[in-house]
Order: sequence, then C-alpha cells, then structure tokens
Amino acid sequence: MASDTRKGDIELVAVTKRFGDMVAVDNVSLRIPHGAYCCLLGPSGCGKTTILRMIAGHETPSQGDIRIGGESVAGQSPLRRGTAMMFQAYALFPHLSVLDNVAFSLKMRGLDREERQQQARELLTKVRLDHFADRLPAQLSGGQQQRVALARALITNPRVLLLDEPLSALDEYLRLRMRGELRRMQKQLGITFVHVTHTQLEAIAVADMLVVMDQGRIEQSSSPDKIYNTPRTAYVARFIGGQNVLSGKVESVSDGIATLRDAGGARLTAPVGNARPETGSQLYLSIRRDRVEVAKTAGNVADPGEANVVRGKVHSIEYQGSYAKVTIDLAQPEEFVANVSDVDFLRAPVEIGDDVLARWLPAHVRLLEGAGGSGDQRIYADAELI
Amino acid sequence: MHSTADQSRPWTFYALAAFFTLFVLFLYGPMIVIYVLSFQGPNGGLTFPLQGVSLHWFDALIKQERTGDIAGAFRRSIGLAAMVTVLTVVLSVMAGLAFRRRFAGAGLVFYMAIASLIMPGLFVSLGIGLVFQMLGVTPTWYGSALGAQLTWTLPYGLLIMFAVLGRFNRAYEEAASDLGASNWQRLRHVTLPIVLPGIIGVALFGFTLSYDEFPRTVLTSGSSNTLPLEIWAMTTDVTSPALFAVGTVTTVISFIVIGLALTSIALIERRRLRRVSSLDESSTVG
Amino acid sequence: MKINQQTVSWLQVAPLTVVLLVFFGIPMLIVAAVSFFDYERWQIVPAFIFDNYVELFQSSLTLRLYVTAIKYVVIVWAVTLIIGFTVAYFLVFHVRSLTLKMGLFLLCTVPFWTSNIIRMISWIPFLGRNGVFNTGLEELGIIDQPLSFLLFSDFAVIVAYVHLNTLFMIVPIFNSMARIDPGLIEAAHDAGASRWRVIWEVVLPLSKTGIALGSIFVITLVMGDFFVVKIMSGGQSATVVSALATEIASLQYPPAAASAVVLVVIVALMVSAILRLVDVRRELTG
Repeated sequence: MASDTRKGDIELVAVTKRFGDMVAVDNVSLRIPHGAYCCLLGPSGCGKTTILRMIAGHETPSQGDIRIGGESVAGQSPLRRGTAMMFQAYALFPHLSVLDNVAFSLKMRGLDREERQQQARELLTKVRLDHFADRLPAQLSGGQQQRVALARALITNPRVLLLDEPLSALDEYLRLRMRGELRRMQKQLGITFVHVTHTQLEAIAVADMLVVMDQGRIEQSSSPDKIYNTPRTAYVARFIGGQNVLSGKVESVSDGIATLRDAGGARLTAPVGNARPETGSQLYLSIRRDRVEVAKTAGNVADPGEANVVRGKVHSIEYQGSYAKVTIDLAQPEEFVANVSDVDFLRAPVEIGDDVLARWLPAHVRLLEGAGGSGDQRIYADAELI
Repeated sequence: MHSTADQSRPWTFYALAAFFTLFVLFLYGPMIVIYVLSFQGPNGGLTFPLQGVSLHWFDALIKQERTGDIAGAFRRSIGLAAMVTVLTVVLSVMAGLAFRRRFAGAGLVFYMAIASLIMPGLFVSLGIGLVFQMLGVTPTWYGSALGAQLTWTLPYGLLIMFAVLGRFNRAYEEAASDLGASNWQRLRHVTLPIVLPGIIGVALFGFTLSYDEFPRTVLTSGSSNTLPLEIWAMTTDVTSPALFAVGTVTTVISFIVIGLALTSIALIERRRLRRVSSLDESSTVG
Repeated sequence: MKINQQTVSWLQVAPLTVVLLVFFGIPMLIVAAVSFFDYERWQIVPAFIFDNYVELFQSSLTLRLYVTAIKYVVIVWAVTLIIGFTVAYFLVFHVRSLTLKMGLFLLCTVPFWTSNIIRMISWIPFLGRNGVFNTGLEELGIIDQPLSFLLFSDFAVIVAYVHLNTLFMIVPIFNSMARIDPGLIEAAHDAGASRWRVIWEVVLPLSKTGIALGSIFVITLVMGDFFVVKIMSGGQSATVVSALATEIASLQYPPAAASAVVLVVIVALMVSAILRLVDVRRELTG
C-alpha cells in the first residue's frame, strides 16, 4: 500500500478543551515539524493526554483548531487524518489472534482475507513477531504486546503516530530497551511521533522536541538539551530534574548581571541581559546540580564575600554510582542538591552533619521567568542521570 | 484469613467446611432423593423403600398415562423458553448498550426494570390476565405468557449487561475507531465478541428462568399448560412416582443447558485470559 | 446525517421499555384500577369504590395473614442470613484456590437454575412420615415414632423457603465480601483483633450492601409467594398471597387487586427502609 505522502507536521491553534467546569487544555498553540519525535511531558492532569487524543480525533477541541499537514482536521475520523494511536495498555483485541489484530484496519476497509493477512504477516516480520501470528494477546509478554500494538498502528501507514505512555506498562529493564527501539523505528519510518509521558528521563532520551506542560498550559517547548541547560521557569527546572532553584531579592544590576541577596543572606548573581529588574524585586534562578562544588568548611569561618557561594549542613548523601547526591540544608525551604562526581567525592568526602560550602560559576546560572510556574511549589522527583 | 505464611488451617476452617458440606447436602439431598425415587418399581409408592428398580415411570411419561399432556407441555415449555431466550438476549443487549450513555428517562426505565424484578409474579400474572380479559383477547402461552415471562427475564438480562459492559474497557472501542472501524463495525467486530461470555450468561438466565417459570405463567398461559404448570397440576394430586420421573427429566434438561452455557463461557475466558510472565521473551528485543 | 447519541440510546432501549410497559407497567396500573372496581358473581364492574379496601382492613383475616407472612419472613430472613453469611465467608476467606472458590460457588448456584416446584416437592418424600429423614432416624434408633411435624407444617414451609432462597443471600454477600481488600483483614490482625472482632468490625460493615440486597430479595420472595406455603403446609396455613390466589381462582378480582396493592405498598415500605439504612446503588452499578 502506498504510504501517506501528505506531510505530517502538526499545528495546534489556540486549542482549549473543557470537561464541564474543568479546563484540561488552556489555549495551547504548538507547532510540531514533520518527521519530528515530539514528547509531551508533564504530571498527570497536565493535559498532555488530552492533547494527544485531540490530535488523534478521539476528543474534539472546545475551541481552536488542529491542523495536520497544513489542513484542518476538525471533524475527520482518525483514519482520514492519517493518524494512528498506540494506547497505554495497548488495547489489543483479546478475542483476536495477533495476526487478526494487526490486520484489523485492513479488514475494516474491506480487503479480503488473503491479502490483509499477507500484509499483516509482512509487518509482523518487521517487528520480529511472525512466529507469534496465531497466538492470542494474552499469551504474549508485555514487550511483545507492545510490538503488536505498534504493528497494528503502523499498518494503516499513518503520517503521525501517537503514543500514550507506551513504556509505562513495561518493567524497568524492558522500558530502557524499548526506548531505543522506538527512536530507531521513528528514524526509519520518517513520520512524526508524538509521545506522551510523565518520566523525564524517558522524554529527554527519545525526543527531538520536548514540550513540558503543567495544568493545561505549555511551560516550555524546545529541544531536550536546551530545556535541560536553560529551563524557562522554576516549574520546568524542578520538573525536568537535575536543577537547583534559588531565589533572592535584587540589590543591584550592572552590565547585564543582577546581584541578589537570598533569604540566608548569601549573595547570588544572575544574568538578566537587557532587562532592568527593580531593586527589591524577587528573582528566581537555576543552577545545574552537577555544576555545584562542595567543600567542608570550618565552623567559625566568617561568611565569605564571594557571590554564588552558600553555606549549609549536609542533610543526606545518596550514592548513585558515578556520582554522589549530596543534599544540603540551607536557609531556603527548597531542596538544594549537589551531584558530586565519584572521583571528586572520594578525594574530599563529606558526611551527614558536616558544615559545607557549595559554590558554582556565575556563567552556569540561568535566570528563570516568573515566580515558580503556576504558583505550585511541588518539588518533583529527581531525574536520576544514568 | 490468617497470614499467608501460615500454612496450617485454623479450627474454624474445618468447622466452616463441615457447615458448607451440610449446606450442599441440604441443597442437593432432596433432589437426589427424587432422582432415586423416579426409578421406583411399577408397584412402588411415593416414598422409600424402592420396590424394584425400573424405568416404568419414565415409560409412563412417554406413554402419557396418568400424567396429563406432558409431551405437549414439554414442547411448549421448550419452545417458549427458546423464544424468551432470543428476545431477552436481543432486548437486553440493546438496552445495555443504551445505558452506556446518559439519556433522558434512563432512571425511569431502570427503576421499572427493578420493580418488575421484585414484583411477586402472581401479581404480574393477574395484571396481564385482566388486561387481556378486558381487551377480549385470549391469553396464550406464546402471547401473554411470553410477555409475562419477559418481565422476569429482561431485568436480569439488563443487570447482567450492566455488570458486563461496566467492566468493559472502552480502550478497545477507541482502538477500533482509530483503526478505521465504523460504529456498526466496532459493535460487531469488537464490542459484542468481547462481551460474548456475558451474553451467553444472559441467554442462560433467559432460558432457565423461562423454562422453570411458574407464578407469572399461571394466569397467562391460557388453555395450554407449560411444563411447570403441568407439574403443579400433578402436585395437587400426587398419586404416582410419575411426578418424580418428570422432575428428573426436567432437571436433566436444565443441567444440560447450564453445562453447555458454563462450558462455553469457561472456554472463551480461558483462551483470552491466560497470563504469561514477562520474562518469557523468546524473541529478543532491540 | 449524524444521529444524536441520545436518540441512538432511545432507539436501543425502546424495545425493552415497550415490553416492560405493556406487560408490566400497564398491567400494574390496571390492577390498581381494578382494586377500586365492584364485582358481581362472575364479572367485575368498573367503578370507583373503596369497598374492597375497607373490607380488607376491617377483616381480621387480613391481619392474621400478614402476621403469618411476617412470621415466615422474619424467620426465613434470619436463617438465610446466617447460612448465607457463613457460606459466603467460608468461600471468600477460607477457600484459597480461585478455581475451587468459583467451582463451589457454582455448586451452590446451579440448583437455582432448576425448577422451583420440583425442588420444593422433593422435600415431601424426604420429610414425610415414611420419608427418608424419619426412616433414617428410626433406623439409627434416635426416635421410635416418626416425627409428624416435619411435613405439612410451619417447619416444612420454612425449610422449603430456606432451601429455595438462601442462594439469594449468598450471591450478593459473596460479591460484597470478595471486594473487601484482604489487606484490611491482615491489618486488623496485626493490630491485635481476634477473629470475631475482625468479623464484627471489618467484614460485617463492609458486607452491608450485600446483606441489604440479599434481604430485599428474600423478603420480596417470601412475601410474594403462594405455592410454597400452600403445598408445604398441606393447606393449613395461608399467607397474604396464597389467600389472594384463592380469590383469583374464584374470580373475585377487585378484592384480590386491592389485596395486591396493599401488599405491594407494604413490601415497598420494607424495601425502602432497608435502602435507607444501606446505600445499594453502588453495588448495582459498580
């Protein structure tokens, strides 16, 4: 069957979705280029799945439009749109064999038995499951079921593949392996993938384009490395993990650098570019955890005059293989963590209860917009770097 | 009830198991007595001891001595049960599908069904009989009795469909739509096949409830009796073990129907639900 | 042309609704109407009089019938509750293997799908003077005269009711119990509760819905019965509906209708009292 030659770029134009009084998606505009691997990342309830289902055609926007390949797809069935969805628990038809599952869409279109089974078999061979063609889904393992679900979706030759938390039903080991599979497959097929997940590490590993969402809005949309290095808001910084969020009141601004005083009296600097924040205003900044140096300090040394040094007590230490995660109690309520490489930690180890200084280079500081995302001070699970 | 590490059974287990056994004996005992007695010898009476073992009374059934129009009643009961089964399945499945959405009047229909379920059968019978009498229509086993029995089987069918469709995962239907199925195709190729065990359950209820039904039929079957009515007539002058023979035969038929239904449900479920451990990945990934 | 989803639901639920209206809704209204009619020797006369009700309430027979009925209901309810709870408890908490659990459960339910009348009359050869029970006891030397109270007595009626209706207690209670998180039981044990405390504090409250549903079934079935009491008491006892059946047999429809209406109201009151105590909607729709 000829592949869908239409372009698979997706555009959301001021899309809003309401369920009764609840706004699940709030005036979202987004452009996903053709052939990109786009991840929608966020906690449950942030609207990412709703957006996915609207692109698929399983939900209709309350307001706004969705365009695929430049044309509006409002009111079109999933098949007409050229989208195919891989469901969270795969939703393989339990009463049909693997072969019949994959051939299902062809049967709906009216192809006769021989032809559709032959096409299905070809696809099963591609995902290396042709020996399981006559089994029922219940007889397959999780990873195998996922590949059947993939084959079943791909047989429709979609221009966009939508994946709803495709890896969450798998155990840890399989999850890591399937991640690579998905990425490889996307590159081979050259179609647009939209992949919804709440796991940061998974998202940064597979995506070309990462969209971080919260409460129905997009917080930041960019490539994974840009998001990781320059998170836009405190919410993104906290959610993507591996960052410390600090804040302080502006004391002075010169040459594009603002000097701040934090709650504990330490001096911080932040790059502000051309902006001139008012003295006394509160600014938020982030510093990557692996850019923080930790050193023991003697108890009665006066506070150093340097900027970008804070002082606190070691609260806990977690060994993570290639680095040690050192959590430090500071004056601020937010967690402050230094990821110290194992070499450095071995050279100058610290223990719980030690007084330490944590310092970093001003060049590594990033200014964050706003006062912490949607005002929600939830601190998300750390992203563990593997 | 004890922790799973505790392999030995507490004394309560044995006490409860004994109680349970007694209960099962209580349930089946009398029926077994009837089965045995139906093999009573030709000169035997209604109770033990057995005077010889014979098929005399089964024979009497077939020859229809002392038993009224058993064969006719039997035919009518089977026919009626078949009609009731088909109608119950079709109507309950349709209605069950309807209730998946909210629609005006859903509550009323639901409560009417529940009321119909717990209303004493005799009253339903009385009502229908009166209506037919007022309209001047003769009650018949394939007309008024059919309707009367449906008031009993439809609520059960509806409740079963509620349970079955409630457990049904909508993702299957979404996947079907996603793959290009129209609403009708979705129903035919995905929804109905998956809930087939439930539908068999509805059919089972429809058949057995109709086949054994008595109070609703008693005033609505008109001049020809169904089997339960015939049995009732026989009980009012219990004079021979022929009654026991009838009992045995009709129970055997019930068992056969139940067995067929339950076996097919078990077979379907077993094929679809077998679990495999995730370590069993014979073809490699990646 | 896109059809409104509501319309689709209406179309799907229509056949069932029509059948229920025609064969249940309307007949019940007719019965209510006829209860106000007058009657002569062999025909009913449309009218609007309260005579039937007045006679009903003034008759001391009515009170006696209700007393008998309620007496049966209370005893049967208590017995079926104890048996039902115990059996369900055994199956849910003491039987470990799921297949065995379902198998034993089915064992209890299968008799339900066979003829009620047959099951009822199977007690006659069992309980009679020359019946199995008496003969067995005599042979064992426990008694030397057959016990005559076993059959054609209140005892027999209650035995038959329990035999036929315990299942209706077992099923809902089993369902409720099966939903109890076993972790709760273990937590109660860990906290030091004895077996009986656990039952009283954890199992019983969480089985409330099942008990309520089962009670509703048993009460409506016993209150609405007429043939069990007639046969098993040998005609000595009468309850509301069995007396009603007699009136129907003599074509006295208006008083029978009035009696029916009154019974329905009273049973409805009992049922709503139970529903007030326990929220049952979750169970039916969950």
